[in-house]
Amino acid sequence: MTSVHVDHGLTSGAPPRLAPAVRTPDGEKFLNGMAGTRIRQNGCAAAAYAALYANVDVITAYPIRPYTAIMMNLAQFIADGILDAEYIHADGEHSQFSAAFGAGSCGARAYTGSSGVGVTYGYEMYSIISGARIPIQMAIADRTLDPPGDFGSEHTDALCTRDMGWLLGWAATPQEVFDKSLIAYAIGEDPRVLLPQMVVQDGYFVSHIAGEVEMPAIGQVESFLPPYQLPFPLDPRRPVSHGPQIHPEQGPPLQLERARAMEDALGVIREKTDEFAQVFGRKYPHFVESYKLDDAEIAIVISGGHSVTCRAAVDRLRAAGVRIGMARLLWIRPFPTSDLQEALRGVKAVGVVETNLGLGGASYGGILSLDVTTALYQMDGERPLATSFMAGLGGETVPMSEFEWMAGKLGQAVARGRVEKAAHWVGFED
Amino acid sequence: MSVRGTHIPEHLRLPIAGVTPPPTEKEGQRLFPTGNFRFFRPVYRDKTPPCNHACPTGEQIQKYLDFVKHDRYLDGYLTILEDNPMPSVTGRVCYHPCETACNRAAHDEPIGIRSVERFLGDFGLNLEENPIKKDLPPLNGKTVAIVGSGPGGLACAYHLRRKGYASVIFEALDSAGGMLRAGIPAWHLPEEVLDKEIAKLTGLGGIEIRCGVRVGSDPGGITLDHLRTGYDAVFLALGQDVGRRLDVEGGRSRGVLGALEFLRETGLGRPVKVGRNVLVIGGGNTASDAARSAVRLGGGEATIVSLESEDELLIVPEDLEQAREEGVRFRPQHSLVRVIADGEGNVTGAVLCQARLAKDENGNVRPQISEGTEFEVPCDTILIAIGQVQVLDWLPESFTERGLVKADEYGRVPDDSEAVFAGGDVMRGPSMVVDALGDGKRAARDIDRVLSAQPLEPDGPVEVMPYERLNTAYFRHAPRTPVPLTPAGTRSKSQKVEVTLAYSREEAVAEADRCMSCGVCNGCDNCYIVCPDISVMRDARENGRYSIRTHYCKGCLVCVQECPTGCLEKVPELDFDEPDAVVRMETAFAPYDGAHAEQAPFTRQLIEDAIAEYDRSKTVQPNGRGVTP
Repeated sequence: MTSVHVDHGLTSGAPPRLAPAVRTPDGEKFLNGMAGTRIRQNGCAAAAYAALYANVDVITAYPIRPYTAIMMNLAQFIADGILDAEYIHADGEHSQFSAAFGAGSCGARAYTGSSGVGVTYGYEMYSIISGARIPIQMAIADRTLDPPGDFGSEHTDALCTRDMGWLLGWAATPQEVFDKSLIAYAIGEDPRVLLPQMVVQDGYFVSHIAGEVEMPAIGQVESFLPPYQLPFPLDPRRPVSHGPQIHPEQGPPLQLERARAMEDALGVIREKTDEFAQVFGRKYPHFVESYKLDDAEIAIVISGGHSVTCRAAVDRLRAAGVRIGMARLLWIRPFPTSDLQEALRGVKAVGVVETNLGLGGASYGGILSLDVTTALYQMDGERPLATSFMAGLGGETVPMSEFEWMAGKLGQAVARGRVEKAAHWVGFED
Repeated sequence: MSVRGTHIPEHLRLPIAGVTPPPTEKEGQRLFPTGNFRFFRPVYRDKTPPCNHACPTGEQIQKYLDFVKHDRYLDGYLTILEDNPMPSVTGRVCYHPCETACNRAAHDEPIGIRSVERFLGDFGLNLEENPIKKDLPPLNGKTVAIVGSGPGGLACAYHLRRKGYASVIFEALDSAGGMLRAGIPAWHLPEEVLDKEIAKLTGLGGIEIRCGVRVGSDPGGITLDHLRTGYDAVFLALGQDVGRRLDVEGGRSRGVLGALEFLRETGLGRPVKVGRNVLVIGGGNTASDAARSAVRLGGGEATIVSLESEDELLIVPEDLEQAREEGVRFRPQHSLVRVIADGEGNVTGAVLCQARLAKDENGNVRPQISEGTEFEVPCDTILIAIGQVQVLDWLPESFTERGLVKADEYGRVPDDSEAVFAGGDVMRGPSMVVDALGDGKRAARDIDRVLSAQPLEPDGPVEVMPYERLNTAYFRHAPRTPVPLTPAGTRSKSQKVEVTLAYSREEAVAEADRCMSCGVCNGCDNCYIVCPDISVMRDARENGRYSIRTHYCKGCLVCVQECPTGCLEKVPELDFDEPDAVVRMETAFAPYDGAHAEQAPFTRQLIEDAIAEYDRSKTVQPNGRGVTP
């Protein structure tokens, strides 16, 4: 692991310590009352509860559905005296993310979020925030990009920010939303990483459908997620300059450092996922959920909420004798190249479910398969065939029958020894 | 994995995300010397405000207004005293060319500079000790003879004293002050104010005024040769105290007086008889003063008869308005044809006719009379105010030309000694008090140069700041603070009651606050605040205490754009390759000492560092990067 040196050039002494975030008495009472209970809540509420448990200092909001309910819940917490945080209602997403950036730069644990065109409206800030190494968290509940106006979920909004230097991953259930929010903060704020995080959930399929979420004790959260300490906060007592203008040749080393940080994050993700399991008792795969892949001949690669249907489809197809499995990606950035290679080793054909739009790309389908196929191409030994399926666009469900259709296409590819095409538009082909 | 095996060369190892000490720190942004992005450099270079430029004494007006604004009256007073010894006088009687030139006129209304000057002058006049006295140099043993104790002579003596010279002033009248006493009515300039200002000067030690000595014309008295041989230098500032005569029929009748003589007798407190129906012939300020004094003394009426039309009158606007308020009448574009007298030779009337002002090719007035328009008006007094001269027959012919003392651009009279200077009305013809004060100041400077064997040099060129180059968006419109006046009904009954009254402290501060400090840094902090790169440094909000971090400033020039006063300007970076160019950083700051130019050691050091760094960056690093030690 490369070391990120944070003290070079700074004059002397340690950065000023900020007072640890203090919970309100009502907040402590509320959370203590809930410790150990399981409550039914949707993905938005789960995200809000995670932010409450993380005791965020600054929340910046701008409404757009479906993520709005996260901010609604947080506003209610503040109104009820359960959470003591600055809540900034910005004039648009660009300002919203800028304010969160500023707060994070000053050493505050900052929380923000958006959906659909809100995500793209604030696009400028993504590289700025990650390049400045400010580990704020952004909750995204997916929504199809305009036009026309479509509330339905599609992963394109978050996926098109994938190269902006943020940690990026989908949660498939409200419980996973809750857990991933805490895990992401712990990874992003780790001084070996210092990167912002996008914790994404499918709009409606996850954000608005309730599931049981286990509420931890405050102590569990605090032992897993210590108070945020930015090593170089903006503080008038010890001035530093963030984001200076540089000479052209000074850019590449900084960019290389960012690339290194992404790779360094891989190890920290493993570490924090394991640590989370120890503290909370829920064990997540580090990067790839392998479902019935051991003897699989064909495999679906998927991320997000549709994996729940996919799992059922795999079971049904297995019952019918099809040797199929599922690989669910928990993180897209950093991309788990080697973990995915290992998960798919021995599989003969892989189909990536694209719940997104990558117009005019190499596959003429979606975005996700490009990373997957690159990872597969780098595999030692025999490589599986790879194709992708455009499904669940515009917020449509991906029903069991479509997974079965995909399995058929993959079986065909295995039989023929080649794929018919790089991307299938499910529902539009025979 | 992609980054395996990568390494970053030592010289490109940077802190995470480029986080560095800020540019405000001594070593701030050394890692990122982006100053070489610049094509233009912001440079602080003070210009001359138009008020300073218009003032013959060169008063640093924006500077003392700034002091007043900050309740630093003593500093403001001392600032005036650098150029003008008698602000209580000029604060009352100056025809304020500064206000005429004031850029603020293009914005809303000019600053009431004269009234603020009076405020400071009276502040100083009431001090127990003359604050400059303790810092005067000892007398150097040289003494200068000065002819005339008017503003020119007094100013010369004052400035000479500040340089260590003694002087002896010869005054023809029985009391000092020249035209300040004998020409300007007491309702403009109270006698006690003038007395105090003169006492302040003589109190400095080394300035002697000998009254009742008319140089040159008294038999057996002092002559020019006495002055040339008995003193180290001579300054001729005898003014023009003889009224020009009007050669008309009846002009010698009893009741016909020269306006100057009338004002002099009045000013000296001698009894003067003036009737209740007065005609004043002339169209200038003397006519106005004489008419207004006549109204006060005679209790009757006065009419100004002038060749000039109403628009052509040479009376300053506020005096004209005040004269009208006091009941002075005007009969413009008329000429006096003859005076009518009774059998005992007393004036009983005058014949006037219509006329126009015209001049010959030499500029001499040649009235154009409309024949056949004569008519008669009754009057008992006629005051002639058509100009003034001086008796100069005691001077060598080579000294005079067209009734004036001849002088070169330094005010030096063609004399073998090269130490005879002249100034004021006797050199330039009828002009302002402040002209004479300026001449006295310059004469003192040049006499000092002659006596210390330095060459005489003309003033260097100055850059006067025009209104258009100010960023006027920063100056909210604010009306001029009106000058309080004694009501016309009260003041026109007395020769002693002052017409124009003083600003209160609040009014003076409010008026000073309107100053836009044209071209001179007034420490507004705009540059410091707007710089997007934190490249403007300061250690105090004062002129000369800002500096540009040249190793980091990229030359965006936002500071220049947002400088309200225009003291910041953009200079092509290439100019800095010329070692003798005008605008090296070390000379780029305020050109004079004081509140607008004091440089803290800290600031000086910054500039020196910046220059050293700049020089280093030119000699090392062939790839154009600055030095990052």
